[in-house]
Amino acid sequence: ISPLSTAAEPWPENAALYQQLKDEQILLSDNASSLAVQAFLQMCNLPIRVVCRANAEYMSPSGKLPFIHVGNQVVSELGPIVQFVKAKGHSLSDGLDEVQKAEMKAYMELVNNMLLTAELYLQWCDDVTVEEITHPRYGSPYPWPLNRILSYQKQWEVKRKMKAIGWAGKTLEQVLEDVDQCCQALSQRLGTQPYFFNKQPTELDALVFGHLFTILTTQLITDELSEKVKNYSNLTAFCRRIEQQYFEGHDKDSSTIAARSAKKSLLR
Amino acid sequence: MAAPMELRCWGGDWGLPSVHPESLTVMAYAKFSGAPLTVNTLSSFWKAPKGDIPVLISEDKVISQPAKILNFLRKQKYNADYELSAKQGADTLAYIALLEEKLLPALLHTFWIEAENYCSVTKPWFASRIAFPLSLYLPGKMSSEALNRILLTKGGPPLYSLTEVEAQIYRDAKECLNLLSKRLGTSQFFFGDTPTTLDAFVFGFLAPIYKVCFPRVQLQEHLKQLPNLCRFCDEILTCYFRLSVSGHSPAGQDTADANLQKLTQLVNKESNLIEKMDDNLRKSPQHPPRKLTTLKLAAGGEESSPFSRLSP
Repeated sequence: ISPLSTAAEPWPENAALYQQLKDEQILLSDNASSLAVQAFLQMCNLPIRVVCRANAEYMSPSGKLPFIHVGNQVVSELGPIVQFVKAKGHSLSDGLDEVQKAEMKAYMELVNNMLLTAELYLQWCDDVTVEEITHPRYGSPYPWPLNRILSYQKQWEVKRKMKAIGWAGKTLEQVLEDVDQCCQALSQRLGTQPYFFNKQPTELDALVFGHLFTILTTQLITDELSEKVKNYSNLTAFCRRIEQQYFEGHDKDSSTIAARSAKKSLLR
Repeated sequence: MAAPMELRCWGGDWGLPSVHPESLTVMAYAKFSGAPLTVNTLSSFWKAPKGDIPVLISEDKVISQPAKILNFLRKQKYNADYELSAKQGADTLAYIALLEEKLLPALLHTFWIEAENYCSVTKPWFASRIAFPLSLYLPGKMSSEALNRILLTKGGPPLYSLTEVEAQIYRDAKECLNLLSKRLGTSQFFFGDTPTTLDAFVFGFLAPIYKVCFPRVQLQEHLKQLPNLCRFCDEILTCYFRLSVSGHSPAGQDTADANLQKLTQLVNKESNLIEKMDDNLRKSPQHPPRKLTTLKLAAGGEESSPFSRLSP
């Protein structure tokens, strides 16, 4: 993406965010990532509409979700989207000094390293969850046997990656402990402040909100994952605050977010 | 005191106690927290249990990854993070995640994948420390594991060739080094004047980049442009490992090391010391037995006891 061409065009009205089908197909980790991007764009006051497509994963330039379609450009994943938005002149982290920016990047890596990997582990490497939730959901738009083939293929890919980073040998308890450690660190860093960098939300707040809110409102086989987050009251208050401030006023989004929190279940 | 603990890890060269980042992290933490480890560097590989290096052996427990080893040391009361606040503890976790995501791929690449480096330096070095015939097989296996890790975590589309992936990981690594340098600023360690877990991890990752002499050194050159990080590594090497910058360890380091360890243990175990002193107070004939709490309320006649508590 050349900065000159992106800066020239203002943010269009018909910008779209693509993710998988909300009720039948999308999984925990993708939902978290998508919500993080939505929160970030809301915080920047940039309008976006959410479009659900069964083949969203294949449309994405990097294979990862979500991706946004703005003007004639397609950008995927939170990191590149933040940079793209910055090239257009909107940024949430301009007010931070260098040390704070370093901290923000470090905490974003912590969330990606621990929370996202734990979500992936839970949905692709824990046999019960895989059988009962992931396999049925992931291939649901496709006919048999394509649905099984696609989801086995994806599972094999994720397991390879887990093995390469050393998570294949972990048990579920160890993964949950890691999640707890990560939540404890986030809770201690947040303290009693409204946002991570006191007055204004940044992309870190969007990322943390995306993951924690999804964990809290998604029903899995057991509640162990969401219990780990619920242990930290300032984190749940943080999620509620961001939800109220950035999501409840918007018609098109309220059906996704508020309904989800009301039903407290995304699956089954 | 804990049972004697033995650490098996890769040995050192080029002025470093170990060339392997994870081994170096554990050794640095042990020095910072005063844990008495006997370090056995690997010279014939089949003695080590199957699995990762470094590995800590204490009585009959075998613990293998750096994070787990450090946890174990903390449980044995060798805690270098004693004075950190909760927020600083959280920052530690975050920065370690940053190191693993952004710096480790480039480090692995420099050591194991960059063809010139691997063939002329890494492979002969590791092969010379592994017994035949494993020396023919193991370095190759470590190299392909490193490549696998990098490709699986960083190598998806839109990066389609290895050169693009390499360019991206070195960009990330240089940015990570810049961030670390800004965070360190002018202070001696990352959280003030005493080294902690984060310092151990940063040292473990930076020192091999800094010191090992490779033919292809773009990361080292970038690091040398950040003088506070270089100073950080050199200081830890001279103060805690008693190796001068050129790599020769002076004689007589043992007594100084032992003193440093004793000092660190005293600080870490201050609650035990206070209890022991209190017992001594009660047993000694000059002072009538009294409880600790009454000292706060007393004035005048009982001032002698606080002073005697402070005396060593």
